Order: sequence, then structure tokens, then C-alpha cells
Amino acid sequence: MIVTPKIFARLVAIVILAVLLQLSFFSRVELLHTSADVLPAVVVSLGLLGGSLTGAVAGFSVGFLVDCLLVAPLGGSSLVLIGAGYLAGLFRERFDIHSALVPPLVCMGLTLFAELGFGAVQVMLGVDAPVSVLIVRDMLLKSIYAFFLAWPIYFGLRRLLRPALVEEPKVTRRRQPTVLGRT
Amino acid sequence: MYRKQVRRRRAVLTLLVIGSFLLLTITYGQSSGGVQRGVSTIFSPLQTVADRALKPARDLVDWFDKTFDARGENSRLKAELVTARRQAVAGQEALQENAQLRKLVELDRGPALAESAYEPVTGRVIARSPTVWTSTVAIDVGSGDGVKVDDPVISGDGLVGLVSSTEGGSAQVTLITDHASAVSAKVVPSGVQGAIRPDVGDPEDLILDFIDSTTKDVHRGQAVVTSGWRAQGIASLFPPGLPVGEVTSAPIVEQEASQQIHLRPYADMANLDLVQVLTGGSRE
Repeated sequence: MIVTPKIFARLVAIVILAVLLQLSFFSRVELLHTSADVLPAVVVSLGLLGGSLTGAVAGFSVGFLVDCLLVAPLGGSSLVLIGAGYLAGLFRERFDIHSALVPPLVCMGLTLFAELGFGAVQVMLGVDAPVSVLIVRDMLLKSIYAFFLAWPIYFGLRRLLRPALVEEPKVTRRRQPTVLGRT
Repeated sequence: MYRKQVRRRRAVLTLLVIGSFLLLTITYGQSSGGVQRGVSTIFSPLQTVADRALKPARDLVDWFDKTFDARGENSRLKAELVTARRQAVAGQEALQENAQLRKLVELDRGPALAESAYEPVTGRVIARSPTVWTSTVAIDVGSGDGVKVDDPVISGDGLVGLVSSTEGGSAQVTLITDHASAVSAKVVPSGVQGAIRPDVGDPEDLILDFIDSTTKDVHRGQAVVTSGWRAQGIASLFPPGLPVGEVTSAPIVEQEASQQIHLRPYADMANLDLVQVLTGGSRE
């Protein structure tokens, strides 16, 4: 990703908008008693579009802002989201994304990773109450929601950051050889 | 060239990870840092605007979710209605008497607050934590409105939580479903006392812990209210008599073995909108 001042401003706006939307909307609506967490999906999408460095920095920024706004111990969310963003970036650097299914699947997997990570950080900081097994259902549902939300998030972000993206060679479908008069 | 890039990338990653650990170490256990206060103050108006703008969309999604839930809830509510009707008839007389007594002492507040010096400040929820591991919400009233740390927060249904930090125009509320929360409460009418703790990951379930295992008077459907104790110069942060929830299961075996019963909070934690902060209470 070629980060010009204009692209940097867009990235900052994306991070702020994502955090505000998460805290004011997604966290407050529930489907099947679970709310969606779009922040890992946003970080993973940025990682997939911009590489591991962009992913890690985006993860740190998103986590830092969330912790600030929720007055939670700073660094906890950042630590987890850095990992998610970096892994997404690594994936992009090592493999080609040829199918439109890949970003949602990566978002789903890394959202599950992030949810497990949030749990691990919380356990590290100390959980003073019993933990329900329903938390597993919650994590799985969040990952499934991430799969569906990743489509608009990834393709929307790709559109928004298109000028900064390094062009990937287009995969053109080879035409079937034709015989005169037949297709 | 490529190796240089890889090295730079790794250096930035290491720096970010170390930075996160440092932040975690420095800010863990403190109520609120200056940076957090600053960022929170800057973003608080934005959160309020976002909250108002997104309310119609939230309501739409809620409508779908509630319609889906309503079918299953219908039969349970019908059964509850029969019990509630019986209790309502029994309570009618007490209510009349209560109204007369309140008139006599010129009190216009609920019975739970009648004897306390609490002054309710109404606020709106503007943000909510995204993970199930922590249950906190941000509200649009803060220290400028007289809200202080440790003020109890209620909704129209019952107890919601406790203010954990304040800024000028906003405050953070730790819900009773958060792992760090503990509320001293009692079952009425049996009077069995204990401490309410959450079941992390299940906001519909709370545990009344450390109850007297010899008591067998606790049954499903009984109400649980704050006990509001006061002893040797220290007092509970919650005034007595605030409704918290109703007993959902109280198996004798569990009462004897682990000294605990389960309850469901009255307040709908997932759909909190307007809440009241009880400010100015006497606490030592």
C-alpha cells in the first residue's frame, strides 16, 4: 500500500468510523442473543489490502481507541488486534487472493482468533467470576457474523483505498478455443 | 531490499507489541488515565451524535430479533402472568396503604430511595463494549452533571450497575453482568442474603453466591433486591430495596453444595437506552 497523506487521512477516518459504529451500533444490537464485532473484520480487511505492517498498525490504533473510549486497561485490545491484522497481512503477502470467498473466510477465522485472544487477555488480567459455556456459542456466532459482514467491509474498503493499492495481476478467464461456426 | 523491508516490518511489529504490553502494565488497575480521559472527552459528542443517528437502525434490528424471540417467550409469559395476577391481587392492599403513607411523608420517590439522599440523574447509553468478556456502557452524563465514581445506576426495570469512571460529559458504567461486579442482595420475602456475581458470557444469568445453605425458603420466581447493608462505618454502594432480578433456579442440591442460586436480571442489559444514576448518596 502506498500511503500518501490523503490515504493516511482516509485510514484514520476508517478507524474512527469503525470504532464509533461498533460501540454505538453493532455492540448494541443483538441477533440470536449475540452482537456482531466488526472491529477484527475491519483490521483484517486492512491487513489483507495493505499488508502486515498496515494490518498491525491498524490493529494497534483500533484497539487503543476502543480501550480509551471504554476506559478499559490500555493495550489489551491492541495486543489482540495487532496479531489479527499482522496475520491477515502475512496471508496477503504469502498467497494470492483469487477468490471472492477468501477475504470473508479469513475474516471469520481471524475474528475467532481475536475473540479467543480477548478471552486470553481477560484471563491474564484476572476474571473474578465463573465463566459460562455460552461464551463459546457467542464466539462462534461472532465469527459467523464476521463472515457475512466481511463482504461489504472488505470490498467497501478496497474501493475506498483503491488509489493506494498495489495492482494485483487480474485473473482473466481464458476463452475456450472455438471452432468456426461453433462456440 | 526485500530483507530490509522484512526487518523493518518485524521491528515495527515488535515495537507495537512491546508498546501494548507497556500500556497494559502502566494502566492496569488504575481507574482512568489522562490519555483515556482526553480521548473520551473528545469523542463523547461524536458518540452521542452516532448514538442518535443510529437509533432507527438499531430499533429495526431489535424489532427483528424481538419478533424472533417473542414466539418462545409467549408461553413462558402466559405462565408468569397467572402467578403475577395472583401476586397483584395480594399486593393491591399493600399498595394502597403504601400510597397513603407516602402521601403522609410527602415523598415522591420510589420506596427504595425514600430513605436515602440519592438524587437521580437521567442519562442515555451512547456506547457499549464489543466483547462478552467485559460488560460496560458509556452514558452521556458525567461529572458535570454531578455523577461520581461508584454511583449506582438503574433502569426502569431494576439495577443496572455502578459508575466506574467519569469525565465532564460522560461516564462509564460497569454492568452487574461484568466479571468485576459484585452486589450484596437478598431474596424477598425469605430474606436470604448473598452476593450477586455474574456468569461471564451469559448476560441472562446471575448467581447469588455465599447464601446460607441451611435455608430452604428460596423458590423460583421470587424477587431479589439489593440489601444495602451498613456496618462499622462502611456501607454498601447500593441503597436497599433496589430490584435486581428474579430467581430462575434454586435447586436444594446446589444451595447446599455451592451455596448459590441463579437469577435473571430484571433490566434488559442488551437493550439499555435510558438509565438513571443515583447521585449524592450517603456513603462512608
